[in-house]
Amino acid sequence: MAEPPPYPGRPRWVKAALLVAAVVVVLLVLLMALGGGRHGPGRHLPGGASELGAAAPGSAGGAAESRP
Amino acid sequence: MMTMPPRLRKGALTAHVACSVGSLGAVAAFLVLAVTAMRTGDEGLARAAYPAMDVIARLVVLPLVLASLVTGVVQALGTPWGLFRHYWVLTKLLLTLLVAGVLLLQLELVSHLARGAASGSLSLGELRALGTSPALHAAGGLVVLLLPVVLSLYKPRGLTRHGWRKQHQQVA
Repeated sequence: MAEPPPYPGRPRWVKAALLVAAVVVVLLVLLMALGGGRHGPGRHLPGGASELGAAAPGSAGGAAESRP
Repeated sequence: MMTMPPRLRKGALTAHVACSVGSLGAVAAFLVLAVTAMRTGDEGLARAAYPAMDVIARLVVLPLVLASLVTGVVQALGTPWGLFRHYWVLTKLLLTLLVAGVLLLQLELVSHLARGAASGSLSLGELRALGTSPALHAAGGLVVLLLPVVLSLYKPRGLTRHGWRKQHQQVA
């Protein structure tokens, strides 16, 4: 059986997409770092971070009370 | 590889297109509600928007995105395209997985907002501050969900290393 020809490499659009994805990831990491270093929905939820620390009086620091 | 007969293949493709485009529309509706909740001066409307966002996210967006993922995998494996042979198919898979993952992570926050809005345990200011995240993620999701549609229509050339090997094995 003949050897297959060598792999020609990734097409240009894939290389461009990888570059764009890398730039987006770097930007997101920078935004996260500048925004306090935490990301994800957990930071908004009770016990996640201080954002709910300023919750309305009586809500005891957030929506834990409103959860079933 | 076992390929689907033409009739089944067309049915699977129809289901995949419907789920994919449907999820785009559902995310757009979610985004409109999120922006409305943040911008309106009517507190009642803002408080009503969050439970609606929760229902749309859980009962429309999530099922459609998961169905799009499943029908896409079926479509890829049941046709000569394969799942890992062409970069455009692989890219679509990765983008849909990304959307599904981010969506699953956002669901808890959206439910939290819905409960807080309905019960009054969160003030309007808190709802708006916390509601920024789902709005931004929905806007990003809309862009990311558009990419698979573009890839499906244009099908840009490019075999992965695995696809290259398989293609030449078949030729040999």
